[in-house]
Amino acid sequence: MKKRSPLFYAQLILTLSVCAFLIVPVVQSVMAGITENFLVGIKGGVTLRWFGRVWELYRDTIFRSILIGLACLFATLIAGVPAAYAMVKKQNRFTRLFEEFLVTPLAIPGLAIALALLITYGGFTEFRRSSFFILVGHVIFTLPFMVRSVVAVMSSFNLAELEEGAASLGAGFRRRFFQIVLPNAMPGILAGSLMVFTLSIGEFNLTWMLHTPLTKTLPVGLADSYASMRLEIGSAYTIVFFFMIIPLLMAMQWVAGPRKKEIPMQPHDEMREKIRGPEEQETVSIPNYRNNNRQPDKITGTSLRMENCAKTFEDGTLALEPFDLAVDAGETVVVLGPSGCGKTTMLRILAGLESPDPNGKVFFGDEDVTDVPIEKRNVGMVFQSYALFPNMNVAENIAYGLKVRGGGRDTRKIRVAEMLDMMQIRELRNRRIGQLSGGQKQRVALARAIAIRPRVLLLDEPLTALDAKLRDALRIEIDTLLRSLGITAIYVTHDQSEAMALGDRIVVMNIGRTAQIGTPREIYFEPKNQFVADFIGTINRLPCRIREGNLVLPGKPISLEQACHVRTRGREMVDVFFRPEHATVVEAGQGHLRATILASFFMGDRTRLIVKGSASEHLTIEASGHQSFNTGRQVDIEIDPSSLLTLHE
Amino acid sequence: MQRRISPYLILMMAPALAVFGAFFILPMARLVVTASAGPSGFGIYLKALTTLRYVESLMYTIFLSAAVTVVTLVLSGISGVFLTRNDFRGKKILVAMLTFPLAFPGVVVGFMIILLVGRQGLVGDVTQFITGGKVVLAYSMAGLFLGYLYFSIPRVITTIMAAAEKIDISLEEAARSLGASPWRVVKDVLIPALVPGIISSGAICFATSMGAFGTAFTLATDIDVLPIVIYTEFTLSANIAMASALSIGLGLITWLVLSLARTAAGATVAAAG
Repeated sequence: MKKRSPLFYAQLILTLSVCAFLIVPVVQSVMAGITENFLVGIKGGVTLRWFGRVWELYRDTIFRSILIGLACLFATLIAGVPAAYAMVKKQNRFTRLFEEFLVTPLAIPGLAIALALLITYGGFTEFRRSSFFILVGHVIFTLPFMVRSVVAVMSSFNLAELEEGAASLGAGFRRRFFQIVLPNAMPGILAGSLMVFTLSIGEFNLTWMLHTPLTKTLPVGLADSYASMRLEIGSAYTIVFFFMIIPLLMAMQWVAGPRKKEIPMQPHDEMREKIRGPEEQETVSIPNYRNNNRQPDKITGTSLRMENCAKTFEDGTLALEPFDLAVDAGETVVVLGPSGCGKTTMLRILAGLESPDPNGKVFFGDEDVTDVPIEKRNVGMVFQSYALFPNMNVAENIAYGLKVRGGGRDTRKIRVAEMLDMMQIRELRNRRIGQLSGGQKQRVALARAIAIRPRVLLLDEPLTALDAKLRDALRIEIDTLLRSLGITAIYVTHDQSEAMALGDRIVVMNIGRTAQIGTPREIYFEPKNQFVADFIGTINRLPCRIREGNLVLPGKPISLEQACHVRTRGREMVDVFFRPEHATVVEAGQGHLRATILASFFMGDRTRLIVKGSASEHLTIEASGHQSFNTGRQVDIEIDPSSLLTLHE
Repeated sequence: MQRRISPYLILMMAPALAVFGAFFILPMARLVVTASAGPSGFGIYLKALTTLRYVESLMYTIFLSAAVTVVTLVLSGISGVFLTRNDFRGKKILVAMLTFPLAFPGVVVGFMIILLVGRQGLVGDVTQFITGGKVVLAYSMAGLFLGYLYFSIPRVITTIMAAAEKIDISLEEAARSLGASPWRVVKDVLIPALVPGIISSGAICFATSMGAFGTAFTLATDIDVLPIVIYTEFTLSANIAMASALSIGLGLITWLVLSLARTAAGATVAAAG
């Protein structure tokens, strides 16, 4: 037993006193409700007859309260849930104002609201005399609680992306709302429902003003009994009320419980990934579609074309300048660029999640799909955060697109099994999404996108959420997959090594426009401008003078004939560029440059040196891994003349 | 795409908009109109502010609500933090008991106070046994105070507990590693971290107390709090204009307190009940 400090006991005593203050009268009322005479106490005898009296006198109030509570719940569900969805979905001035209005009843005393209702609708006698009058007050009072509760849960998961995921699989608006939005918002709807019902049952402030002698609710009846009946009856009636709200409170606790547990999922998830056995290790396991006799048919991808696709956002920013791209059937094109360069916008236009500015056109094959929404485009899309539906298990996620398309149950089963085998995740088929590791989610997302045999596969930074080692493994997997399927794929990334490894062609983008389109080799060896050269790998800049057909360097000069890629355009000074691997350390007196070593990084197969020459900025060069270099040493550097480039700014 | 969904979104907000427009916005507007439609027009507000009975009642209500807020915050603050930080047997039951009265309507709270400190209350019996004199508090300011405390404590405790759970415990450990005494840790780390929760739950507590009707109604005390005044103006004196003006005033005060708290705490704040 841990030793507790005096402070602990002081706090405990205080807490217990507070508790006593709250609970002692509750106990008293329970006692009073079951004793013959409260003043005499228990020894006067125990009885249940007061409950009989309550039943006689106030039976109708109990039923009326339950009915009003249920009706109120129904009304708040119909009005509150769609409104909450709209508010989460579209956040603009209008919805914010609406939200602001919706919560004002919480800030205004019930008495004032009741007065307002009486003044406005008191004249409608039929309405005034019915329970509907009370119901209206309850709905206004409880609606904010429902909306809040649902909004809280809807904002806790990435609603927009889940919906986009469903849309990419072909689900229309109604289907998305009922199959994706509602099931995932269920904890909020449930919590809100319990809250609304409990509040409605216990509401007094409004109800007292709105009731008539014929429309008494339970709390009104309570007030009545406290004022006019003997204490024992009031107490028994109170016990009835307790019995009604205790299950509701317990249910609320229960609903709030599991949600708390789901929060630490993330660290737990990572841990499992670490402690997994070797057979489950995520190493390079090439999916077995090659030597699989149940090989899925090759998906014949379509060619696609974007013409003059620009995108201006609502706030006026130009996210994408007029953009043209043609992709052959079966080709993998990687769109590469720093964040904010417009690459995701471009992909979303292609997917049909955004529409291009007028005059922009998107073609799949010969079909103009510019105005076709994503759910009709038949594209497979893999999202950065995967957008797997948490309300469905792995197999259901993969089957979703097929289900939307209305295929038979059996064909669906076969196709899902095929996908699970292909991605080697058969053992995960019944897992919940929350139980998957990052790499597993990635595979499920791929399987789900491919299962619908899309015309085009769109991948939005699919590996960004994974750690470096897993990323390398999955990159190889995706590469093999894309090639064996022969599918047209557009792959967006900011990682140059991913781009080099995966792309048949690479589109390098910068600030909303194309910087260069070419094969990985072209991009690397013949970058069109300095941005591309800098973004792909490392490049060194060397300013030098030109004299008599030679580049003048501190050491040996280089003749312009040898430096075949250098364009001088008649200038006397040019900046020439070269990659680190095109320079070597040579013996003293043999090099083009002489430089001091500032830092050296041993990388195993080679050593990377940062050097400072007399006439240049810092240069990065590579030497073999066998040599070791001390900082501060002078070295001679020779550059391969044919690799020297001149670039546009 | 986004523009294409818009009609759906409007449709989805339509039921809420309709209910809200018809049964909240319109009546509230009517309330404002009614207040100034009496014989004295807009002068009704001036009249409300110069009539001693109303001003006195307003002052009582504000004073009572402020006092309840302070005491509730202190008690619930200590208990709430204590309950989040310590684990002991029976804690769950204790928390359940502390939050049970959350769902009580004001009338039930009033009844609880009568049972505790009323004419036949427990405290009366005990004091009579010890000192011979019966202590009866229920029908005075003290009774109201206890009643408001009764319904405020559970609300504030739940908010404080939620806020305390979110505090990064390593902050406190860091403070202790730097040599801070337990008291300094409370002052420099714990309370600043709880401030948003304290502000928001304090504002809710204050606003709820300002508008509380059921408890005062059941206790039928000799002190008229503002909601009771409004009620009597409306039902007994049939002075509808004055009742409207007073409830607009009351609504403005609670709304203002909650808005200020929301700006200060940066969280959504609301009164209930």
